[in-house]
Amino acid sequence: MLKFKLYYDKDEEEDWLKKMCLNGWEFKKFFLGFYTFEKCEPGEYNYQIDLLDSWNGRKGDYADFMEDTGVKVIAQWWKWVYLQKKASDGPFEMYTDAGSKITHYNKIKNFFKVALIIEIICFFIELFATINTGSYLFGLFTALIGAISLAILKIVWKCKWKIKQYEQEQNM
Amino acid sequence: MDNSTPLTEALFYILLAVRTPNHGYGIIQDVSDMTDGRVTLGPGTLYGAINSMLTKGWISLYSEDKESRKKKEYLITNTGKQIFQNEVKRLNELIKNATKMDD
Repeated sequence: MLKFKLYYDKDEEEDWLKKMCLNGWEFKKFFLGFYTFEKCEPGEYNYQIDLLDSWNGRKGDYADFMEDTGVKVIAQWWKWVYLQKKASDGPFEMYTDAGSKITHYNKIKNFFKVALIIEIICFFIELFATINTGSYLFGLFTALIGAISLAILKIVWKCKWKIKQYEQEQNM
Repeated sequence: MDNSTPLTEALFYILLAVRTPNHGYGIIQDVSDMTDGRVTLGPGTLYGAINSMLTKGWISLYSEDKESRKKKEYLITNTGKQIFQNEVKRLNELIKNATKMDD
């Protein structure tokens, strides 16, 4: 089964993959928003999504380490990796203390900050193109990029909020 | 992290788990056993901690199984032992002072 979805929030994406698996669909592949699923036992796997520091260098080291702990890297999109663990091998949470959760969400926040800057630049380019040409097509693109920018901004805010929560937990 | 800040629980138990050569999954198991399941290290947390401790020289790569390429073993270094002992000293001081509560 093939499904198309656009997720900005990796926590929501994880929940969706878990839900799909509970319904008997095992996530197999990801390509530009297309998710491939195969039939499995309901609830057979758990999923986590991680953001790597770099997308080439030590990928093999990371994958080998994860495999040793019973975690399989099943798909990758640039610096994002999709991880799968058998539910029968115990609970699956990548980051278990406040310090590492803060590092994790900081990485995500910085990733989307860069994306946000790029989107905003694109937004203004499209906006000026729309004003200069009066073309509906450019107007449509401007609106689309504007919507994407807002979605990314929401994620940056959410990361900031989460980091603050974990920092409070840490300083207690 | 400089040497005077308290160790996080994760770092403390990872150092303890690599007092003899140990690999990723072994560390998770040992820490869980030592704490009766209270401290369960997520693989991401452990991976980050190991890499940061390798950089700081608290632990070193002990062996690498060339055939399977999977099981890298880690071992505490003298620096790591020193860091650990400093933390134990600090914890002992806490415990010693804590008894004042009973007086």
